[in-house]
Amino acid sequence: MKAGPATTGKGEKSMSITRLTWINVRKDLRLEWRSRDVLNSMLFFSLLVVVIFSFAFSPTVDESRRIAGGLVWIAFLFSMVMALNQSWARELRNGVLDAYRVSPAPAEALFLGKCLGNFIFVILLECLMAPLFMVFYNLSSVGPLWQLVVIALLGTWALVVNGTFFAAMSIRTRNRELMLPLLLLPISIPAVGSMVTATTQVLTGEGSPVMQMKFLAGFCVVFTTACFLLFGTVLNAE
Amino acid sequence: MKSPLFYGLLLITLGLLGWGTYQALVVAPPEATMGDAQRIFYYHVPAATAASILFWGNFLASVWYLWKRSPIADALAVAGAEVGVVFFGVVLVSGPIWARYAWGKFWVWDARLTTSLILWLLYVSYLVLRKSSEVGSTSVLAASMAILAALDMPIVYMSNRWFPTNHPQPMIGTPNLNPEMQKVLLWNMLAFTMFALLIAWFRYELERTSQQINALHVHKAAHGGMAMLLPLAFFLADDKLLREQAVQHRYMVIGYIAVWTIYIGYLLFLFSKLSKLKKEEAELRAV
Repeated sequence: MKAGPATTGKGEKSMSITRLTWINVRKDLRLEWRSRDVLNSMLFFSLLVVVIFSFAFSPTVDESRRIAGGLVWIAFLFSMVMALNQSWARELRNGVLDAYRVSPAPAEALFLGKCLGNFIFVILLECLMAPLFMVFYNLSSVGPLWQLVVIALLGTWALVVNGTFFAAMSIRTRNRELMLPLLLLPISIPAVGSMVTATTQVLTGEGSPVMQMKFLAGFCVVFTTACFLLFGTVLNAE
Repeated sequence: MKSPLFYGLLLITLGLLGWGTYQALVVAPPEATMGDAQRIFYYHVPAATAASILFWGNFLASVWYLWKRSPIADALAVAGAEVGVVFFGVVLVSGPIWARYAWGKFWVWDARLTTSLILWLLYVSYLVLRKSSEVGSTSVLAASMAILAALDMPIVYMSNRWFPTNHPQPMIGTPNLNPEMQKVLLWNMLAFTMFALLIAWFRYELERTSQQINALHVHKAAHGGMAMLLPLAFFLADDKLLREQAVQHRYMVIGYIAVWTIYIGYLLFLFSKLSKLKKEEAELRAV
């Protein structure tokens, strides 16, 4: 059983890691395109969070500027947890992980592919939800908008890379879906903190978020490297 | 567990704990504004020192485990994390009791306190992972988690750097600390570090026994729960009394009781685990 999904394409003996990653991403995107269960549940969930928060706090314009940073990221973080659990649970059902373990393809390609796939889903979610947040909370940004885009890209990558790693870990535990937030949230607190601070700084125009952006970039570099190096160990843990 | 070295060290540690507590309660001069309440310091800081040593131990043992896959390293990692969490729990319980007197609040979200809480949460999640992962993959997953947790710590410190803090800076060897107090603190640090290392040793032996039992029977894995005792809940009289000596004294007593409740509670938990393991081993050997 040499052929994992990664090598079904042409059955070549040696493929570059880039190509393998691309095959994984394409497979994830195609699966999602056909079922759409991840995106739909993420969208609906974050919509619910928006509605429930506004019922709970009914904020004024100034207040909502101040709390929106935290609110947006909490909504995205929680819906991301759903997507991440799904992304590995799917592979477990079809025995793909076992197939991958016996295939000669490097585990890093699988990890990178999953990360990129999840990154695309979450960015898509953010693009769709951001206008809704703006409408529901009467938000308008005081600071420059491009900074928000950079923060969103860096922050999402930070969460997705850790989340994909810990989802692969929690899928190996007894209470699968429950474990992911328990592992992911403590370790991502610094990233979430600086994302929220930076977003609030841009929205209210008080202070420059450049420091936080640099910090986020550093966080991404450190954890991408660490997760990349440790993923093979986790995949093959027996 | 029958090593005479262990019992010798145990005797010395018990002596040191008694001596340290005597020093803290009787010999150390009362602090100018906080009086007796400040004596919590002699339990608070040493517990933090001991916990950081244990967390370092957990990190090194995890690296060692991933490198060599030795069950000894795994047992060391468990001992480091679990005993570290208990000692850090003491820091997080005794701190707020003291803070309620010194700052008027149990908790403020400032740099040092937030950092400590995140550190504690990280290792609690490590223990949760250990408990719920499937037998066989536990050690590898836990070791990876430990490495990421250790990587997270400098980042957490950095992210907190630009927040103001109410918490006093480290003062050993600085003129901010009365030399008399420093001596008492150092005695207590020695006592509690030895105490922590001994408990960790005990926990390590327990883990080794449990590993051997696991090897004896594959299907019935030994398990144990993490028992964290809640700190004693207490209510306060009105704030007018707050500066009086009786109140300072009360804070000190409550702080000391809370600390010892946690230590003794954890030890009782370990002993119950030991007797359970012994029983299980006896049953297996009989069959």
